[in-house]
Amino acid sequence: MKLTRLMTMALENLKQRKLRTSLTTLGVVIGITTIIALASLGEGFRFDVKKRMEQGFELNVLIIFPGSFMAGLGPGFNRTDVDAIRSVDNVSLVTPLVTMPTAELHNVNDTKLGAFTVGGINFTEMQEMLPERFRLMSGGHFPTVDENKSIILGYRASILNDTVVAKVEDNVTLMLKDRYGRIFYNATFKVAGILEEGGTSGITNFDYWAFIPAETALKMPGVEGYQIILAKVADTKYSEHVAKGIRSKFSEYSITVFVPSSLMRQVDNILNIIQIFLMAIASISLLVAGVGIMNIMTVAVMERTREIGIMKAIGAKSRTILGMFLAEAALVGVIGGLIGVPTGYGLSFALANTLSTLIQSSQQTTSVVQPSQTERMMINPLFSLEWTIIAFAFAIIVCIIFGLYPARKAAKLNPVEALRYE
Amino acid sequence: MTAILEVQGVKKSYSLGKVLVPALQNVSFNVKEGEFLTIFGPSGSGKSTLLHLIGCLDRPDEGEIFIGGLNVLKLSDDKLAELRLTRIGFIFQFFNLLPRLTALKNVELPLTIAGVPEKEAVNIAEEMLKLVGLEARMNHKPYELSGGEQQRVAIARALINNPKIVLADEPTGNLDTKTGWETVQFMKKLNEEKGQTFIVVTHDPHIAETADRIIHLKDGLIEGIKEAPRRNKQ
Repeated sequence: MKLTRLMTMALENLKQRKLRTSLTTLGVVIGITTIIALASLGEGFRFDVKKRMEQGFELNVLIIFPGSFMAGLGPGFNRTDVDAIRSVDNVSLVTPLVTMPTAELHNVNDTKLGAFTVGGINFTEMQEMLPERFRLMSGGHFPTVDENKSIILGYRASILNDTVVAKVEDNVTLMLKDRYGRIFYNATFKVAGILEEGGTSGITNFDYWAFIPAETALKMPGVEGYQIILAKVADTKYSEHVAKGIRSKFSEYSITVFVPSSLMRQVDNILNIIQIFLMAIASISLLVAGVGIMNIMTVAVMERTREIGIMKAIGAKSRTILGMFLAEAALVGVIGGLIGVPTGYGLSFALANTLSTLIQSSQQTTSVVQPSQTERMMINPLFSLEWTIIAFAFAIIVCIIFGLYPARKAAKLNPVEALRYE
Repeated sequence: MTAILEVQGVKKSYSLGKVLVPALQNVSFNVKEGEFLTIFGPSGSGKSTLLHLIGCLDRPDEGEIFIGGLNVLKLSDDKLAELRLTRIGFIFQFFNLLPRLTALKNVELPLTIAGVPEKEAVNIAEEMLKLVGLEARMNHKPYELSGGEQQRVAIARALINNPKIVLADEPTGNLDTKTGWETVQFMKKLNEEKGQTFIVVTHDPHIAETADRIIHLKDGLIEGIKEAPRRNKQ
């Protein structure tokens, strides 16, 4: 019998038992809906996390610290170290940072500014290294080589409780304190510019930083070398290789090279595993639907024993009978998929809305600082053609596999006995 | 005329629980092409078993069956199905129509199985239903038809593939005497007009008597084969 005829016959047979067919199909619909909803939410979540990470880390910028997690923080880097890193293949730009976490900034009214650390940097190199982050608000400029007593403030460093506490051209005092809180150094800097707001991202938030020229910082008492070196790779694909090259220039455990792209890849891997895990759980519901199909088809084969006998008596081959029942099973899968896929996406949007509301309200109650708009967690379900096809195919395959046993049972029926069946 | 069917030394037994019950013991006979043959005997004589074997629905334990010179025992199940589809037509006591299908669809079924395109199949099925005088009832389902009408649908279905042999298992058993008689007359008419071979199983002596030849079956053995002149008595 031709496949198209087989399918139309199967459809007619299914139509004859509307209630039973709908209930059987419902199982498949629930299975597909669950898979699609979880898949699209998972994909959306993954996309969101990836986007955040991409915004947070410049994927082509490696961050190098002295010392290691194993051996503790080492002494700062010197110029030779910087040059050694610069000599590694595929490194396009290197810039070192001096950090002074104990530094305090006060404005002319002696109000403490909200900067938690002051960095000593080369402004030209830094702009080139992190162009997205080093953007000034209008009215400011990056200090020239001669302006060694100029300072750039992060957006939050210039504001305290919604009030501007320092603006361009203002003088601020930088103080260095020892562990007992005694000031052992102070100097006046002129605010040359204020950075645009960047928000939380990556390993630090530059909104709470202030920057002075590296040369000036290095001359201050108690400051020894560079605490961070940023190295830009020509292409993200070289990241791991470059990191290896950099490590080889130093003795073991004396430096830590942080590779954002490999972290990203690990996070992506973890998200992938979570996604697959979710899918596996969702698939169980489809398997349950499959058992339902097997159950109902076994009953149907018994009920239709005589019909099968008649079909065989008038010349139907065993495989025609097999095909007839498998076509019915497959059709249940197809119909279930056709309904389940849109329902699944519908459900994922409903779930995403609920989840986003929940997350926002919890952020508002737990967070001291009101998160900015960009920081709000929103899960947007993503349509994934890949998962749609997988779910659809899986549904049909499950239906066919579970339909196989009753269909074979039907095909193997002895025609004489089947005809005698009451 | 050549033998369209040869049955040679056929034996068949059934197991009822642990007991092996012989249904047919060494049955041999030939059927000529175009013959109208009845197999006559009381219930339990093995008539239906014999018909099932001839109709390739079952295989004998021993002996051989040739249909059109073809040894059916040597054929695979698929080949047997094909034989049933193309060379054999079945008519049953309980009509055995598919209850969910209309008369037309029921008649069309063998063509559908054979893979004949639907349009063509519908045309042939309509012709067939006209032949059995049911053109007005084509779209009725079996339960909307009388017993005689249902049996005529079954006859139309049996004849649609233009089989060489038509097998009828107690075709009048579920009909009143008058309708039963009409049905037999109708089959005889087809036999005469189309030259198809008919083998009819019956326990009704009146119906048996209408055949060219009667095979008397008793306890799985042929008691006698009687040549009978064609008679149309009522």
